Amino acid sequence: MEYFTVSLLNGLIYGLLLFMVSAGLTLIFGMMGVLNFAHASFYMTGAYAAYTLAPLTGFWLALALATLIAGILGMAVERYFLRRVHKYGHAQELLVTFGLAYIITELIKLFYGDFPVDYRVPEFLSFAAFRVFAADYPFYRLLMGVVALLMFAVIYLLLSRTRVGIVVRAAIYRPRMAEALGHNVPLVFMSVFGVGAAMAGLAGAVAGAFYTTSPNMALELGVLVFVVVVVGGLGSLEGALIASLLIGLISSFSVGVDASLADLFGLVGLRDWAEGIGGLMTVQVSSLAATLPFVLMLVVLLARPSGLRGEQA
Amino acid sequence: MSAPRLIVLAAACIGIVALPWILPAGQLVAATQMLIAALFACAFNLLAGQSGMLSFGHAAYFGVGAFATIHAMNALGGAGLLPTPLMPLAGGVAGLAFGVVAGWFATMRAGVYFSMITLALAELLHALAPHLKGVFGGEAGVSAMRMPAWGFTFGSETEVYYLVLVWVGACLAALYALTGTPLGRLALGLRENAVRLRYLGYRPHTLKTLVFALSAMFSGIAGGLQAMNIEAANYVLFEIKLSTDAVLFAYIGGVNTFLGPVLGAAVLTFLSHTLSDLTRSWLLYQGILFVLVMLFFPDGLAGLVRRAAQSLRDRGLARWLPPFAVSAASALSITAGTVFTVELLQRMFARDYRSLLAMNPGSPWPDIELFGHPWAPLSPSTWWLPAALLVAGLLAARRAAVMWREPEAQHPATTEATR
Amino acid sequence: MTANQTILSLEGVRKSFGGAEIIRGVDLQVRQGERHAVIGPNGAGKSTLFHLISGSFAPSAGRIRLRGQDIAGLPPERVNRMGLARSFQITNVFPRLTVRENLRLAVLRMHGLSYHFWRPVARHLAVNDDVDRLLETVRLAARRDVAAGDLNYSEQRSLEIGMTLASRPSVILLDEPMAGMSQHEVDYTVGLIQDVTRDCTLLIVEHDMQVVFSLAHRISVLVYGEILATGTPDEIRANAAVREAYLGEQTV
Repeated sequence: MEYFTVSLLNGLIYGLLLFMVSAGLTLIFGMMGVLNFAHASFYMTGAYAAYTLAPLTGFWLALALATLIAGILGMAVERYFLRRVHKYGHAQELLVTFGLAYIITELIKLFYGDFPVDYRVPEFLSFAAFRVFAADYPFYRLLMGVVALLMFAVIYLLLSRTRVGIVVRAAIYRPRMAEALGHNVPLVFMSVFGVGAAMAGLAGAVAGAFYTTSPNMALELGVLVFVVVVVGGLGSLEGALIASLLIGLISSFSVGVDASLADLFGLVGLRDWAEGIGGLMTVQVSSLAATLPFVLMLVVLLARPSGLRGEQA
Repeated sequence: MSAPRLIVLAAACIGIVALPWILPAGQLVAATQMLIAALFACAFNLLAGQSGMLSFGHAAYFGVGAFATIHAMNALGGAGLLPTPLMPLAGGVAGLAFGVVAGWFATMRAGVYFSMITLALAELLHALAPHLKGVFGGEAGVSAMRMPAWGFTFGSETEVYYLVLVWVGACLAALYALTGTPLGRLALGLRENAVRLRYLGYRPHTLKTLVFALSAMFSGIAGGLQAMNIEAANYVLFEIKLSTDAVLFAYIGGVNTFLGPVLGAAVLTFLSHTLSDLTRSWLLYQGILFVLVMLFFPDGLAGLVRRAAQSLRDRGLARWLPPFAVSAASALSITAGTVFTVELLQRMFARDYRSLLAMNPGSPWPDIELFGHPWAPLSPSTWWLPAALLVAGLLAARRAAVMWREPEAQHPATTEATR
Repeated sequence: MTANQTILSLEGVRKSFGGAEIIRGVDLQVRQGERHAVIGPNGAGKSTLFHLISGSFAPSAGRIRLRGQDIAGLPPERVNRMGLARSFQITNVFPRLTVRENLRLAVLRMHGLSYHFWRPVARHLAVNDDVDRLLETVRLAARRDVAAGDLNYSEQRSLEIGMTLASRPSVILLDEPMAGMSQHEVDYTVGLIQDVTRDCTLLIVEHDMQVVFSLAHRISVLVYGEILATGTPDEIRANAAVREAYLGEQTV
């Protein structure tokens, strides 16, 4: 029972974290038709910025500044790079973001080294929130979940209840019309890009303290984010949320499952045969935890090619 | 073909064949790597440049081919069914088989979805491989030895070079021939307007899967050649680096011509070999070059060369040389400025230097040795130099752009019609 | 081949997108060998009708039958293989490939070469003959090596027609094939259409009334997703409701 509760909490929170990053990606794609390969790089930038600033400005201010830095980086990417290749089409834009992701990773390696850095949860936040049966549940994990939920609420309200939100939604669906009505659509594009990047940066700043902060984090998360958007359907916020939570839960639960296919065969008395085969039969689910999101993606592709809530193939 | 082109082509062929006599020993390995990279990039381009399907996970098929070949080498010992020179076939078959399955899935979607799926498939393999020690050998990987066959020992680098050369040559020829076949033409159709093909009665999904499988097959052969070259295969082959390399080589070289990716792969592999001793930031330079190409020269180095040759023909040497010289000077200046900046920064932030700083806090930062000259990292005089180089380079680039645009002989600005 | 057999039939076809019903119960019987025009004001749903027939999407209700076989909801490649080909109102060619290459792609399947990759296409003489023949028919032979995206608008329409004809279909759907053409080109294309549709059935959407009345054996008038009337050109000309709904003050 303890395992179940802890895994549930962990899974939901990790899913929310994934959602923070993929929401921005989905919004940007819905708006500009561009898959921003560098999106996870904003996540990484947020983490490293917070790591650098925390000793100088204190943890909270570092989080805020890191978010801002990621947002500015995002706006710069849109303004100086994407806008230039817009005329060549989506494939070119994708490649430019791919190149930028590559460069950002290499720059991080240049400035911080090709190994993880010691970005840790600050002392005053590393206590137990409550006890789950026999174990302590860290407060910081809850904090991550709360930040994600708050951010989601803010964005949702912004988009649906404010004038700015209406203009943004108009620019997403009918950019030319919005422009004809006098709205500065390029500014909207740049802002949405910046906000999406800022969301990813905040996620990185918060999560980097808890998980590993290394030059590899962009790729690790990036691939998962891509799985989220394939499963949830690019352009659909609800799909991204469902998919993120699903993947978070799967990753979280599977880490503790020490069963393998051989155990399954054991149910029908064929354990020895299965173990004799070895290979895939004896690999434990916990070891394969990292691969399960990809398996989910393939399953969804087979069953529902357009994703859980997305557009037509 | 025109006389000058023929001469260049002949010289290149002779050079390639005679390489073992021209190059010092030890450099030949680099040449072999260049050949393998060229095949891999070309196989990638069958999918990306010709069919319009951008794959970010091509390392998977390269790696599958490498492992299949390594196992074949161990199992068959260079004799019997597959003598050593034919070993890469194992890689090709494995690549083809895996490519059919992967391609069938991946091509169920188009555009960015396709790209993301290919990436995820490669990552899946990368995550799975360490756990299947029987097949992929765990941390240490799997190794094998090249066995003698057909009168050769395959012990020397020279023999390996020629084996790879023959295979790469044959595969490139096959890939080139493929472009002229009905399937090759339909691949172009897939790129230009896959939807229209449906209304003409074709099944794009089947076509795409077939093209994908062929691309994976040739990638598998390249992997097999690599496995034979270094006599080992390791699951790090499935890492993102190889997939990224394929993309970088092909696009920097130029995806709109057949030899573009070959050129890109050769040049970048060569630079990687020679420069990795001189700098630790080669990957960063590669990335910067890629982004610059994507922003300013979308048809790559090959396109650049082609346009330069075309404008030489149009303008004549006298009017071509000045803008070319300015362009070259601009490129050199920008490169120099960038290199200086990156190298200095790299040394400033290196672990050794920072330990040095930590040992003597409060004292001025020690000079950094670069290009045989000490530079004070915090002094403005140090940074004037790269700044000046970059600014000068940018101004020169502007001037060159103006000079190139001055009236040329008739060359109507139409879209390049594909052959 | 009985002349008056129905080759393409639509019964009670409806199509809605979200809340909007675009096609509101269409009954249409196209007879084998005839040239049947569909006319109607803008927004009547003519292109949607073509999309439904050619397989772009499925009807919300109703049946579509080609030679008695249900084709409603089948994918476009299936419908095409059953002998129905269509052209597009918005140019839908292969822009960076030459005119010749465009037609060649259309022709390859007819020679069973869809998945063929061991001999160069240049060696397949029958294919190249077919392509040359098509180039002559649509009068684009002089522009064979020009990129399709560089053609002017009426040349692109001709290319569209050429690609549609390549699969030697028994039912041809032409969606405003003569938009943007000069009178001279229109006259030629009318003659061309009369020529090539001698042995097959034509369903054509056109706005140019002169073309419609000179080409069509029968005309159907589509207004707000419903067929107002079907008949010979004379019958349609005389029909008061049609005049009111569509022709207005035009004298034809």
